[in-house]
Amino acid sequence: MDINGTLIDDTFAEAFPMKATRLVITAHTPVWANHAAQSLTGFATSVIGCGCEAGIERTLLPGETPDGRPGVAVLLFAVSSKELAKQIERRVGQCVLTCPTTAVYSGIDPATSRAPLSDRASLGAGLRFFGDGWQISKMIGQTRYWRVPVMDGEFVCEETTLTVKAVGGGNLLLLARDLDAALAAAEAAADAMRALPNVIMPFPGGVVRSGSKVGSKYAGAMASTNDAFCPTLMGLSKKSELTADVGCVMEIVIDGLTDSDVGAAMTAGIAAAAGRGNRAGVLRISAGNYGGKLGPYHFHLHKLAGDVVGRPG
Amino acid sequence: MSAITLRLKQTPGFRVDASPLLPAKLAPLPVAEIARIVLPAGNESCLTGELFEISRADSETAALAIDGDVRWLDRLGAHLGEGNLTVHGSCGDYAGYRMAGGELRIEGDAGAFSGCGMGGGRLTITGNSGDFAAGTLPGDMEGMTGGTLTIHGNVGARLGDRMRRGLVLVGGDAGECAASRLVAGTLGIAGRLGAHYGYGMRRGTLLLTQAPDRLPPTFTEGGHGFDVFWSLLVRSLANEIAPFSTLRATSLPRRYAGDLAVDGRGELLIVG
Repeated sequence: MDINGTLIDDTFAEAFPMKATRLVITAHTPVWANHAAQSLTGFATSVIGCGCEAGIERTLLPGETPDGRPGVAVLLFAVSSKELAKQIERRVGQCVLTCPTTAVYSGIDPATSRAPLSDRASLGAGLRFFGDGWQISKMIGQTRYWRVPVMDGEFVCEETTLTVKAVGGGNLLLLARDLDAALAAAEAAADAMRALPNVIMPFPGGVVRSGSKVGSKYAGAMASTNDAFCPTLMGLSKKSELTADVGCVMEIVIDGLTDSDVGAAMTAGIAAAAGRGNRAGVLRISAGNYGGKLGPYHFHLHKLAGDVVGRPG
Repeated sequence: MSAITLRLKQTPGFRVDASPLLPAKLAPLPVAEIARIVLPAGNESCLTGELFEISRADSETAALAIDGDVRWLDRLGAHLGEGNLTVHGSCGDYAGYRMAGGELRIEGDAGAFSGCGMGGGRLTITGNSGDFAAGTLPGDMEGMTGGTLTIHGNVGARLGDRMRRGLVLVGGDAGECAASRLVAGTLGIAGRLGAHYGYGMRRGTLLLTQAPDRLPPTFTEGGHGFDVFWSLLVRSLANEIAPFSTLRATSLPRRYAGDLAVDGRGELLIVG
């Protein structure tokens, strides 16, 4: 398949089940909500070393949040409910509770969620102990909140956050002529994906240059460099999938609440990158998989790109 | 499902227990069988058909309406779990006693112990209510533990006694000892208050839209910085009765904490 001279490999991305939640962080101003969100989602690029993958989904207008203040929606993904609960409590405790004026709420609406509901992870239920006995529980409607006294007033948070069965590890590999072309294509693709709901791209700027494969020649290393797509290993690695004209490869990893969310983001990314085309140095688009043996979700690039229309001529 | 209507035929000379008259229970029954339902009345009993003319119509939900002034009819909607029960007139004591769900609407006055021990659902009284609304029975540890009780008119003494959860809104005045021994939950009172309000209040919120004549001596200044909670509370009241529905998140009430004689984590919010 060819879109604007960019070849779309006949391959697929392989993704895995994860547990996820959405947190809505609000604050007195958008700036402080963003500070808390940035902090909470920091060092959350890969479950391999960070415990979870997290990112900002979008900013929220005051009319969209439970307390009528500006906010930010963040998504967190982990490999298990237990690990997700641990990461939520640790990150909210250190990054949101500490941030001036913030409050935090569960962001998954059980009535509208297309992702299968999982369980509830502790949010204020553990953080309330910071109140040292001064904390107040408050039921409003069917929701229990905790009001923890802090130096700027009260830290308000929901007792628990709803979690869902989600999908992590969707990916695109963008093979370009040189570094500038690869960066521009990756930035365009990440921007297009950010416009969609229910997905995050957890790596810095949404892009990862250190794509990995499972395992290593060294015992104890869970993952190691994806030598098949390293341009300096062309001719050295027997697994190299690069041709001589490829000077740089960037990867975008996508986590989403459902497989259709991940698929939609990948389609948007393909459209944005291939939209730049061969003339802008975008030579191929590929994806990473493990032969289809490890992950139950397979995102076939030709299927996803089926509706992407190239430029005439 | 079906909508059952009970139209008052004759008034008995004694008080009658209406707890068997639940909409979901009556919905599948034929009229003749409903007429044979026995209603306890102290040491006596009577049949539903002796007191009411019974009619039914098709409905999407289980609904029961009682037409007439039935001040002698106690325990209406007791243990109600689902469906709608409406009384077009005034009713007796224990309306909505330990109801867990559904909706009970009394278009008139209610006696004492309305919503007593209520755990869920919505109880609306468009007139006045007697003493111990949303409270506890003598000997019980907890009063209301959930749901919403709205009283458009005035309410008697000991409103919300030992209440633990839920929302109570009173459009009129409250008698003495409102929110006494309140464990938690939210009480809103739009009118004047009787003496000793908040007596023994441990936690919970007492929201007043009219400044009281005096503050209890065991309440203290409650500080500032509760604007996020206030915003959540105000937004949750947007669909309730006035004046609670007209409260604004930007206009913070005065806050006092108490009752310091007990836990002292209750709050008194005075708007305006």
